[in-house]
Amino acid sequence: MDDDAFWYEAALLVGVTNALNVVADAPLETLEPARPDAAAQAVFAEILAFYDRAEVPVAFRRVAADPGYLADLWGATRRAFSDQRLTRRHKEALAFAVSVTTRSAFGTAFHLGEMRRLGVGERGVMEVLGVTQMFSSYTKIADTLQLEPDMDGIAAVDWSPAPGGATAPPPARAPEAP
Amino acid sequence: MPTVRLRDASEYPGPVQKLFEIAKAWFNYDFAAPPAMSRVMAWDPELGAFHGRAMKRAMGPGEWSRAEKEMVAAVVSGANACAY
Repeated sequence: MDDDAFWYEAALLVGVTNALNVVADAPLETLEPARPDAAAQAVFAEILAFYDRAEVPVAFRRVAADPGYLADLWGATRRAFSDQRLTRRHKEALAFAVSVTTRSAFGTAFHLGEMRRLGVGERGVMEVLGVTQMFSSYTKIADTLQLEPDMDGIAAVDWSPAPGGATAPPPARAPEAP
Repeated sequence: MPTVRLRDASEYPGPVQKLFEIAKAWFNYDFAAPPAMSRVMAWDPELGAFHGRAMKRAMGPGEWSRAEKEMVAAVVSGANACAY
């Protein structure tokens, strides 16, 4: 995964995951419209189909009073979680890891359910939980001692352009001293 | 700047040097010096060895590939706002 496209995709997924979690975990029940209008219902139908479930996740219900906003939030979410360079299955694992790390009750339960629905077994769940736990340890050790990054040189630089863009040549190296 | 003086690899006792070799093999990268985290974990080999084994067990290929797990580790580190 030394292609930046994977990492851009993962970062966008993390952002959207956190956006859904912060609304779902906050005490915002009173914002859920009792009778969402037709436009919101149309978006709800897409959400139910995408997740193959009977109930719209709370993160979407709470913004349904503004159907335009709901539609855009859903569009970003659907894009973030769709198969692209990363599989939807892997994306649910990433979202689960982020949700556990950020102590999101909604995100943890929701993405655990999605992982299982998409075929991840108990071993696979435990593997993701193990990595999440171990790196929640390493990160706190590093922060406590204020360690400075010293492993970033391992990864090669990806000089490919932005999607649809033109290739930029790598910066010229300074001439070596004679 | 680290809140402790990170010891040079040469300041660790002989048996602990093995942990540095394990780290080098794990990353398949010829570090000029063992990474800071390796030197921290080697401070207490009794803890570091268990922790390292748990990490390797979690990161090893299983239902997910090592690469997929490295990405999980990266997003967890990001969520923890850890620059290291």
